Formats: sequence, C-alpha cells, structure tokens
Amino acid sequence: MTLPPIALTCGEPAGVGPEIAARAWETLGARLPFFYIGDPRHLPAGTPVVEIHAPADALHACASGLPVLRHDFPADNTWGQPDAANAPGVVEVIARAVKLVQEGQASAVCTLPINKHVLQSGAGFAYPGHTEYLAALGGVDRVVMMLASPELRVVPTTIHIALDQVAAELTPELLEETIWITHRALIQDFGVESPRIAVAGLNPHAGENGAMGRQELDMIIPLMDKLRAEGLAIAGPMSADTMFHPAARARYDAAVCMYHDQALIPIKTLAFDSGVNVTLGLPFIRTSPDHGTAFDIAGKGIANPASTIAALEMARDMAIARAGAKT
Amino acid sequence: MTHQKPRIAIIPGDPSGIGPELIAKLLNEPGVTEAADIVLVGDQHVWNQGARQADLPVPLNEIAETDLPTQSGLSWLPIDTLPAEDVRIAQVTVAGGTCSLRCLDKALDLASAGLVDGVLFGPFNKAALTAAGLNAEDEHRYMARYLGFTGYHSEINVLDDLMTTRVTSHIGLKDVAERITPDAVNKAIKLAAATLHRAGKERPHIAVAALNPHAGDNGKFGREEIDILEPVVKAAQEKQIHVTGPWPSDTVFLKAKRGEVDAVVTMYHDQGQIAIKLMGFERGVTVAGGLPIPVATPAHGTAFDIAGQNVANVGATLQAFHLLVRMAANHRATRASA
Repeated sequence: MTLPPIALTCGEPAGVGPEIAARAWETLGARLPFFYIGDPRHLPAGTPVVEIHAPADALHACASGLPVLRHDFPADNTWGQPDAANAPGVVEVIARAVKLVQEGQASAVCTLPINKHVLQSGAGFAYPGHTEYLAALGGVDRVVMMLASPELRVVPTTIHIALDQVAAELTPELLEETIWITHRALIQDFGVESPRIAVAGLNPHAGENGAMGRQELDMIIPLMDKLRAEGLAIAGPMSADTMFHPAARARYDAAVCMYHDQALIPIKTLAFDSGVNVTLGLPFIRTSPDHGTAFDIAGKGIANPASTIAALEMARDMAIARAGAKT
Repeated sequence: MTHQKPRIAIIPGDPSGIGPELIAKLLNEPGVTEAADIVLVGDQHVWNQGARQADLPVPLNEIAETDLPTQSGLSWLPIDTLPAEDVRIAQVTVAGGTCSLRCLDKALDLASAGLVDGVLFGPFNKAALTAAGLNAEDEHRYMARYLGFTGYHSEINVLDDLMTTRVTSHIGLKDVAERITPDAVNKAIKLAAATLHRAGKERPHIAVAALNPHAGDNGKFGREEIDILEPVVKAAQEKQIHVTGPWPSDTVFLKAKRGEVDAVVTMYHDQGQIAIKLMGFERGVTVAGGLPIPVATPAHGTAFDIAGQNVANVGATLQAFHLLVRMAANHRATRASA
C-alpha cells in the first residue's frame, strides 16, 4: 500500500526551518515523500519548489522538487529577524497540518521549530509550546515526550522544571500515565509487539534501599508491582548510571526516566544529530527535530538537516507501523 | 642521580572478586613493569591465586620494608591478612573485607612514609568492607580518616582523557539543589584543577555543568545558574582557572567527546555517571581526589558473576595504572622539590 505523504510545517520562517526543509528534500527526494506547508517566498532562493494543490500530489512531485502546499503569509522573510506579522501564519500552518493528518491526507506531521515568544506577541499564542498546542488540536490532555534514535528511546516523566521541583512533581499518577502511553506507542507506532520498558530510579543507585532517597521504595516500586500485575513488562527501578551502556540498552525498547537530563544526557551523548523528538499520546503521529530556530545561523546555509531528516524517516517508519497495526 | 620513575604500591582488592586476576593481567601487559617500580602488597596465596586465575606469571620477589627506599623493578612486600582457606570466590566475606582493609592500610602507611608515590587497588566489595569494620560511608572517607586528612576530598571519575568531579554525590535527588552553594561548587572546580595538574595537564579546560534542564533557560526552570554557578565561574576565571559554563548538561559531554574539555564539574551523581558509563563502561577509573597521596582504582566492582573465570577485562585497571603513574610521578617530583 502507498501511504499518504508526511506534512512538514514551516515553523518560524525567520529561523533555520525553511532552509532545512530544502536540504531535507535534497537528501530524501523521491525516497520519502513529504510536503512543506508554508509560504514559498520564505524558502531560500533557488529552492526547486513544486507547488501542489493536494497532499497526494506530493507523491510524484517529490521526484522533481520540494512539494509545497502554499500557505500565504502577509510579510516577507528576513533571516534571523522574525516578523510578528507572520506569527498567525505559523500557527495556522500547524493547525492545517493537523487537519490534513486527521482527514487521512497526510500520514504524519513533522514540525519545524517555532519561537514561542514571537507567537505570543504576534498571534496571542496562549500555549506553553508546540506540543501543548498539538495536544489541544488533537483533543487530548496528556501527551508524553520521547526522544528517539536508532540506539535508544527515552521518555522523561517530568520535563521543563527546575531540578528542585522534580521530586515534588513526580507523582504515581504521572508516572503511571507516562508508562502506559509509552507502552501503547511502542506497540502502535514502533511495531514492538511485547514492549519491554526500563524504569529509571530517581536517586543515585536507585536509592540503594532507601539510603539515598525513598521515592523508589515508597512510590516507584509499588507502582511497578501494580503495573506488572496488569501485564506490563517493566524492569527497574534501575540505577540510572548503569542502564544506558550498549549491553543494558539491548534489554529494553524504551527507558522511562524521572527528569529531563536523566533522559537527555544519554540520548544526546549518544546521538546528538540524529535524535528525534516524538510526541506520544496524540491521535496522530508527530515528530520534530531536536533543535530550535537557531536565528544566529539562519539563512547562512550551514544549518544541519540531519535531525529533520531523521524526524521524517522516523515519522515514515511510525506511519508504516501504525498502518500495519491496524490491518 | 635520583630515581625518576615513580614507585607505586598495588594491592589486590577483595580476594573473592576479580581483583587478583586483574592485577595478574595488568602486570603482564606490555610496558607496565617498565613504567614504574612496583611493590605488590598482599598475601602470597592471593597473588598466586591471581596468577592461577589469569593463567599468567606473577613473580613474587620478596622485599623487606627497610629495603624499599632503594627498591626497583617488581617486588612483593609480604603481609598476612587471611588464611588461604578463608578465600571464598564470588562471596561476600568478612575475611575478604579484612584482607582489603589491611592491605589498604599497609599501602597507605608506605605512601605516608614516602616509601611509595601512589596506590593502585583492585576492586573492593562494599558489603565485605562494611562487615569488616569500614566504619565510613565509603573507602574514600575511610582513606581520608586513616591518613588523618581533614581537607576537602571527593571521588573523581575518569574516562580516558575526561575527569568528572561532583558537587554532591550519594544523596537523594531532592536534597541536591540546597547543597549547590558557591563554596561547594568552588571546591569541586579547584579539585578538578588540582587533580588535572597532578595528572600532568598544564592548563586544563574545566566545564561546569548546569543544575537545571537547558541550564535553567534564563531562570525559567530554576535560578541556580544565574544566582550561583555564573558568579562562581566568573570568580574562578578571574583567578586564571580556565573554566567555562554553566553548560546544559545534556550537551556538555559532547564537548568532552570532542576533546574540548578536560574535566566536567557535575552537580549530582548521575549527571556525570550516566555519561561516563555510557561512553566507556569498561574503561572507567576512579581517583581518590583531594587526598595527599595519589590513589586510583578501576571504576567497576568485584564482578562476582565472573570471578575466577579468567574473563575479566583488564582495560579499566590498565587505565587506572597509567593515570596513577602520571600522578605518582608528579607527586614524587613535587615532594623532591619541596
């Protein structure tokens, strides 16, 4: 079967997104059909644009150029200098991509980076970030962030909070939801029939029987016992420092971590360029590169498309897995 | 002419584990017995056990303590810490812990007396040490107390050319933030600088890791970077220490991978240990940072699951040896010029 193409949103046009889209097409071409949603004027001069009228046209257009589903923005683009006038367009493009994937015209959404502050001032954007906006569009309350590379998948349970808030924010409910969403996504989107999840401890040496923190004894272990009784294959709580070397990684399909850097240190140290951000728990597939708008280098032709290429490839693989899971 | 090579003491670690086998393998690695004068400190049967386990020769050239000032080559200083029949391979025993501690005491005595310039130990077993009367949180605190050293000291983790020091170590994560004080961070920076100097780095680059995700993102997820780490780094720079940061901890180790930094000052145990063990699980070395005597050991444990099977990897022990030799040579030179 032929899957619909992947929708790639333009993100903040003054950032590195447009040039990365063009570079990703140079690499992927007809091998991985995707289409860019945005204003063709914002792409770097010389980009071989093929304007399409419906997403399905991208399937053949991608052989001759970057397929672009035109979304007109009011203002031109200056690299590195975001124009508030274009902010509403950035938000509309995301909504348009979600609509297309929900209608089945796109198989997944891959998002290029936005700048929250520009969207707040220019479009009254009220969400803390990209992911929360996508959750609202998808009609779900709770999503989970996964960072994935060919060697490792990690899921931080708490994310963008100060380290001294982690212990307080880490509740059994939050951890339970995170593990379940991860489990379901591994089956549905990653083609893992019987997912094995490793759960990190919060404290050094996973607390060493309460000698260095009690969250493992009081919360994580009882929750894991309950989840095992419900049929999940979960191991831990593991000492975080010994769960990421190659032999340890071979024993699980995803690692659920307790805080941001516990998850991000191993994946970035292993795979800085090829790490992909995946949002689990949405009714559709969403991936994104693991970097920001990089205004300082936008338009200079030096932005690295590796993470976006990896994000598109992962979205394609997830779409194939999801299509297979349905049949 | 004075003797230029450092002289180091090597002890086997817990005889129940892979320590004796590893030291036997180490002594048979190319260049090892040429790099330093070596004094094996331990029971005859434990060294023989290591030789048998590794199926390699461990020559025991007996020497008396009074001969140590002129010792050269590879020698053995006898000590009786446990009868051969009390060795239980792959078991936690009081006798194994006692052997570990008595050998360590002896090696530290030799170093305190200036008879050796550094100490290398095979892996200890924490439970055995505790059962044998360690009476301290870990062997680092034990050694400091034994040496009567009251200054700042802390475990340093080393992988190849990268060192990490920790501002906090074996405490619950929720207690970390309150212990990130200017004084504590400053001490960890200075310890990294001093240990790198001792290891022969002339002008090391020390990177300070941030505490919070994205280094706090300008105060949005925690203010320790702004309130504590940035001022401490700036003050250290003014004292001509080549220190930078605070860097987001998820990318600071990439700088280390690229060889841009010699040490990372981490804020908590897993911040450094995740990266170090990920990058080289079998090569990591632990240095007893801050002690008056250079002491190093492989970072891994006694590995009871493979003890006595002649499959233990000597990589970390070899790395520990070469690092210790560099530190011991500088220690010797410093003492000679003092």
